[in-house]
Amino acid sequence: MATPVLVVDDSTMSRKLTMRALPADWNVELHQASGGEEALALCRQIKPRLMLLDLTMPGMDGFEVLEAMGREGLECVVVVISADIQPKAEARVLELGAVAFLPKPVDAGQLARVLRENGLS
Amino acid sequence: MSLKSFSDDQLDALQETANIAMGQAGAVLARLLDHYVALSVPRAKPVQAADLAATVSAMLGPSLDLAVTAVRQSFQGRLRGEAISLFGTEGCSELADLLGHESGAGAEQQEELLLDVSNILVGAVLRGLGNQLHTDFAFSAPTLLGQEQGVAAILRRGPVDWVDALLLEVNFRLDPRNFSCHLVLLLPEESIDVLRQALDRMLGDI
Repeated sequence: MATPVLVVDDSTMSRKLTMRALPADWNVELHQASGGEEALALCRQIKPRLMLLDLTMPGMDGFEVLEAMGREGLECVVVVISADIQPKAEARVLELGAVAFLPKPVDAGQLARVLRENGLS
Repeated sequence: MSLKSFSDDQLDALQETANIAMGQAGAVLARLLDHYVALSVPRAKPVQAADLAATVSAMLGPSLDLAVTAVRQSFQGRLRGEAISLFGTEGCSELADLLGHESGAGAEQQEELLLDVSNILVGAVLRGLGNQLHTDFAFSAPTLLGQEQGVAAILRRGPVDWVDALLLEVNFRLDPRNFSCHLVLLLPEESIDVLRQALDRMLGDI
């Protein structure tokens, strides 16, 4: 069965780059959200196994999405893919429950390793 | 020129490219000042030289508009233009403290710190843009455009050698300190075509 994956980024190009970086042989059902609110709504609805989450977005940002997921107890493996590459941003998202923090532009090899380490793909 | 001449895809690619470049510059600034730097969502806008001051003032908002210190640097390469860093007055006086200097840094020392910080930010943003767009920049030494003045007074003065330009704006803000820097990049018309081609190449690779 295909694994539901949610890609969250305000940039269309960035979502495409992220989707292209997923392992080619992995059977996934892709969903996309262009903002934090939409991501949360989809997360409740489709219950993705994996969320690939951007941080800097207009409106609700990635940090707030993670906080809300924690509050609501939404279970999903979250990998943050971020242009904000400060160590404090990384520490904060890991504290909020993300399993990994990858810098943009995302590297397919790095992403594949994170997915393997978390029993996905 | 209007941003209508950019397709939605090109505009999206431009903002994302700016976002990544800004993230890299933010990380450099965070290391320098040992604080978390909050990053804005980059904004792109067409601007005419005559409206530059009004456009920038509106972007900065009322709290910063009244008194800023501005540093200018020009850059050259396949893309050319100018970079203007605008610092709030309160933040300027905090800079010496953030950098661990003895309190009461002299005016001259404060000015030097601002030029350095501007140089570091502009260098990092341009390097980030250049890496993604596969182009190199050379940039001039920073010069002080004006100190503790209104945006209109500072930006009205400088003679510009363009009529229409594309303005890219990003904002670095230190929480919970007062320090903030708005970085404005201005790309005059002939650079806009070069930029559009570079963005198309990027989009073509996806």
